[in-house]
Amino acid sequence: MILLNLVMLLGPPLLGWWLYINKLHLTVKRSILQFLGYFFVINLSSYVVSYIRGVKRLVFDDMTVSYRVKFFCMGCVFAIVLQSLIFIFKRNMYIFKHLKVDILAFKRDMKKYFRYSVRLAKADLRTEVANSYLDWLWWLIEPFCTMLIYVFIYGFVFQVKEEYFTAFIYIGLTIWSFFQRNVMTGVNIVRSSKPIISKIYIPKYILLFSKMLVNGFKMLISFGIVIIMMGVYRVHITINVLMVIPIMIDLFLITFALGVVLMHYGVFVRDLSYITEIVLRMMVYMTGTFYAVAKRIPAPYGEILEKFNPIAYLIAAMRDVLLYGKSISYQALFGWAIFALIILLFGIATVYRNENSYVKVI
Amino acid sequence: MEKSEEAKNAVEVTDVCINYKLLNNITVRRALFKKREEEEIFEAVKNVTFSVKEGGILGIIGKNGSGKSTLLRAIAGIFSPNSGSIDLKGHSVSLMALGIGFKDNLSGRENIILSGMLLGFSEKEVIDKIESIIDFAEIGSFIDKPVRTYSSGMHSKLAFSITAMLETDIMLVDEVLSVGDEKFRRKSLSKMKELIGDRNRTVIIVSHSIETLREMCDEVLWLHDGRIKGMGEPNDILEQYVEFMAK
Repeated sequence: MILLNLVMLLGPPLLGWWLYINKLHLTVKRSILQFLGYFFVINLSSYVVSYIRGVKRLVFDDMTVSYRVKFFCMGCVFAIVLQSLIFIFKRNMYIFKHLKVDILAFKRDMKKYFRYSVRLAKADLRTEVANSYLDWLWWLIEPFCTMLIYVFIYGFVFQVKEEYFTAFIYIGLTIWSFFQRNVMTGVNIVRSSKPIISKIYIPKYILLFSKMLVNGFKMLISFGIVIIMMGVYRVHITINVLMVIPIMIDLFLITFALGVVLMHYGVFVRDLSYITEIVLRMMVYMTGTFYAVAKRIPAPYGEILEKFNPIAYLIAAMRDVLLYGKSISYQALFGWAIFALIILLFGIATVYRNENSYVKVI
Repeated sequence: MEKSEEAKNAVEVTDVCINYKLLNNITVRRALFKKREEEEIFEAVKNVTFSVKEGGILGIIGKNGSGKSTLLRAIAGIFSPNSGSIDLKGHSVSLMALGIGFKDNLSGRENIILSGMLLGFSEKEVIDKIESIIDFAEIGSFIDKPVRTYSSGMHSKLAFSITAMLETDIMLVDEVLSVGDEKFRRKSLSKMKELIGDRNRTVIIVSHSIETLREMCDEVLWLHDGRIKGMGEPNDILEQYVEFMAK
């Protein structure tokens, strides 16, 4: 019994502690202090969670094994999370000191390189279609065909019923593929633009920005189809349609922010592109590309998913304003924009601090 | 001596060190589960201090792997030194490199604009210069064809013309370039000399060719294993260098 208690309480901190001292050579005194710190933080957080879940007191005598296992596992998760947080913060603390300088630099560089990124985007678009028979029609055909596949699978095989189902899926798909493409490009962009960045200085996020313009343009074309579909379905159009613009801006900001952050880590962490791919694949099903998250996933999780996943929220909002003529909450839209700006700021600052060593690594 | 004190410095390099970390890629596995590995650090440039006067021409010489190109790239702003500072006094700078950011499927004309803008010129400046670039490149009607259809000679002619016609205050040259067929080679070489010889422009040349450096430079810097081994009159330094290399 005592042994079980010990394992439950000491196991997770030991794990975190082991992960930590593994990498540093500390004195005995410091590592004991470290361990005590871990012990308190981890067990406190586990206790808080179990308190919220309804266990008000820790009585060791009448504890079930399943509770112990849960407690232990939760502790392990906290240990790893704590460890990762420490790792990330240690690397990035100094960044916040230069925030103001970085914002000014961002403004200046954006102004300087904006024309270039637009040109580059146009050039990319042109090269993409230069050698295909169907030219720019591919930008319509590709999402359209994907939509047909999903309509078949979800509408016909799985019998998902939504009003205006084709347009419903199409909107989700368009927004999602914009997000996904940019995030994936972001992770790999520094490596793939080696020929440029090893010869000349350019703020690295400009490369991503340009790619986002390319994908954004394709997204706009896809939305052309949405408009046609709305005509076919005779969707009742309300004034809420105007909300499309702030939604798009939100989407752009969030994607850019995430892309910039991933771009930075993508340089140093080689396996990041695998991880992102897996996470994205998981996310596509949690984002409600093919179904309405809030309706299909049992309460309260569906609502939670939609609330805490910006892309899911934006997709749902886009459907609401375009197809169902509903109004959406301005607060959430605004909140996500602020959130995106904070992440973006952090990303840009990180990139400015580190971009000159990218060339040495790749 | 008096004269050189009047002229302002265009480039000031102070106590610059540049390191490469040889082991720098983190994977998630390594970050979480491995002991901190001893990072191997390779010091490419160690405590280098020098300055170049406005309009001066500095040659950098040294054996392979002595940190010449690294230093040049640091001055171009491609990466920052680990310690020390590089002050360009607000001058525009470019590293002479051929065909930066060329896109194979685009026409030569489009590539000129892209490449020029990447070098830091505005769209308008590039378009103003575009005719002279095309004239200089001598590739005729190919200018409106995609770059992938070019022969390698045409490719480098166009690339050279872009870098040669778009001028910056400070020019960094990694090996004096001469490209194309015999006729264009002569032309490009004389253009290079004209560009380098222009007294308004500050030039730093990295080269292995003792002849070129003797002919063109005001001053020569000799790098050896990342440290300055000597700096001064071209003739003196180059003589020492030749002697040293002959051993």
